[in-house]
Amino acid sequence: MRKHRRRTALTAAALLAGVVTALSACGSSGGSAPGTPGASGPATGTLRFVGPEEPKTFEPVIAGFEAENPGIQVEYTQVPFDQLNNVLQQRLAAKDSSIDVYTVDQPRLSALAARGFLVDLSDLREKVRQAVVPGQYEVNVFRDKMWAVPIWTSDQFLFYNAALLKKAGVTPPSRDPAQRWTWEQVAEAGKKAQEKAGAQWAVIPEQIEQFYQLQSLAESAGGGPGITGPDMLTPAITTDGWIKAMTWYHDLFANKLAPRGVGSFQTSPLFSEGKVAFFVGGPWDVGVFGAVKDLDWGIAPHPYFAGGKQVTPTGSWSWGINPASTQQAMARKFLEYASLDPEGNLLTTKNTTIIPSNKAAFDTYLPTLDALAGDKSKGVGEILTYDAGNTAVARPTSVGYIQFEEIMTKAFADIRNGADPRARLEKATGEIKTAWAQLR
Amino acid sequence: MARPRVRRSAAAVLGALAGLAFAVPLLWAVTSSLRENEAMFRYISEPSWRTLLPSDVTLANYAALVTGDFGRAILNSIVVALATVVLGLVISAAAAFGLAAVRFRGQGVLFGLVVLSFLIPFDAIAIPLATLFRDWSLQNTYAGLILPGLGHGLAIFLLRQFFLAIPAELVEAARIDGLGWFGVFARIYLPLSRPALVGAGMTLFIFQWQAYVWPLLIGTDTAHQLGPIALANMRGQFTIDYGQLFAGSVVLTVIPLIVIMRYQRHFTQSISTTGLK
Repeated sequence: MRKHRRRTALTAAALLAGVVTALSACGSSGGSAPGTPGASGPATGTLRFVGPEEPKTFEPVIAGFEAENPGIQVEYTQVPFDQLNNVLQQRLAAKDSSIDVYTVDQPRLSALAARGFLVDLSDLREKVRQAVVPGQYEVNVFRDKMWAVPIWTSDQFLFYNAALLKKAGVTPPSRDPAQRWTWEQVAEAGKKAQEKAGAQWAVIPEQIEQFYQLQSLAESAGGGPGITGPDMLTPAITTDGWIKAMTWYHDLFANKLAPRGVGSFQTSPLFSEGKVAFFVGGPWDVGVFGAVKDLDWGIAPHPYFAGGKQVTPTGSWSWGINPASTQQAMARKFLEYASLDPEGNLLTTKNTTIIPSNKAAFDTYLPTLDALAGDKSKGVGEILTYDAGNTAVARPTSVGYIQFEEIMTKAFADIRNGADPRARLEKATGEIKTAWAQLR
Repeated sequence: MARPRVRRSAAAVLGALAGLAFAVPLLWAVTSSLRENEAMFRYISEPSWRTLLPSDVTLANYAALVTGDFGRAILNSIVVALATVVLGLVISAAAAFGLAAVRFRGQGVLFGLVVLSFLIPFDAIAIPLATLFRDWSLQNTYAGLILPGLGHGLAIFLLRQFFLAIPAELVEAARIDGLGWFGVFARIYLPLSRPALVGAGMTLFIFQWQAYVWPLLIGTDTAHQLGPIALANMRGQFTIDYGQLFAGSVVLTVIPLIVIMRYQRHFTQSISTTGLK
């Protein structure tokens, strides 16, 4: 049914020129007026902003910005998360001026910058460096220039089902970052909960096949970030640390401590149902689990391997400007408000549970997060502050990150389903090398 | 006597099993759309009758659809699909008439091109086409969404094959009686071709109803969002509202289902008579 041809469409277009005119009047045209990209543009008008979040997420920050800047409106367009990168790539490559500001997945920043899809914002670098929490400045820098401003950051915690642990006679992990549990402890306690308390699963990482979550396993085992070399285009995923981490990950599923067949972000309903002893998830889960009735849960710092490094995932989203935008002056104002102004940055977190990148906003936000789920979420702020300053390790900065992540996701899925970790990582190394050959 | 009956019963049982295998996931989606979010996965790991039949029915998920952007998106989908069917049928029928009733040089080549056109996946040309459409300021307009669905090779092919079955004597008689080509088209071909028009119309309808890549490229603002995009947008980055997702999927399935049920008789007729002379 989805067969078609440009020629036919074009013929139809020509035939229906009149209809086009009539129909165009029905909709508001995006209006890609030809202009000089790079020019500062008008001081008032309508900014077009594209991202993967629900519109209500950005309503507060847009309202705040519009109130401070009369004459500027911001029109937000949501693109489904799974298609965001492809759609952006296509539209930015076509120099689509109907996007002014867009959300930038932090590890993909270098690939976007290298292809010329971001405006150089280096003149803001000192301001950003001073305004944001540790680690959130560096993720926006590539080839010594700053290409986007940070909006959110993230962390991962160990959530536990208090009722199941109690039934199994397991003392829950402490909230104190100094008494962080090891992965070995988590697996053992989870197993006990399966045997004695009827827990269906021992431990589930939320983003069960995603590099964001699994990088910390390898880093903790001393395996490094997976990419190395002066140009960050050499895969390094067969180090002893990576093999150790992936063997542990493989065994998690082989020994039925965690489920196969459930995708990333489809895992939190299992914890909400009270069937999982431990769950490794993000700050957004504090709000999600807090809203579940009759679920007795607690929170502790993200685990590490015994004898290994304490490493926690971090990073989230920045915002950047499309070089083809004809309204860059307004776009820049919006970015400064959402990132550098503590009030604006805080407003981006009003309708979703996520950590603001701005230091002052971060400090104001912590008590809110601590109180979000009453006693259950108490102490989250302290863990976050500690992790941000001590254990957070961002994803590697490489122009080849997009291909790398896609290949790794497939490798994780195979290992999870029983593939031999070493053999599968070696195969992935070959695939990455082939994919990167054209980038060198 | 007994053997054919056994064979028939076995076939019936197999048929029922196959039907059930197709129905169960749909039933599960319908049931889940009537559940509260918290109970969404409660009966998955330990299947019971509750897995497929809701115990506490709630319409909250459907109510939430109406208040959100989804309602608007469904309306947009209906507008785009209907406009495509009406305009597309006019274009396809006219093209098919030209290819079937009128003789001219290069007709075979032209028909070959039409056949070729629906063998190339639309997705393969979507990206360069989107760049062209953007240059023409057609992004975020209904016209941008409708235009690629209008000239549909398969619809032209279906209609042309059906038109060939209309006796040439009929046309000749009408021409002798003074009817012009447009009269022959409008007063003889179209009234005789209802089943084929329904078949072609459904082809056009389903092409637009399922469209995903194209609207993502060309019509993404909230005012022009189509149903499948709004459905995909429900899958948030950090959390997924499964209740609404299931309810949205049910709505998106039920609408074409109604159209197909209503016109299926014509559709099968058009396929079975296509190409008859």
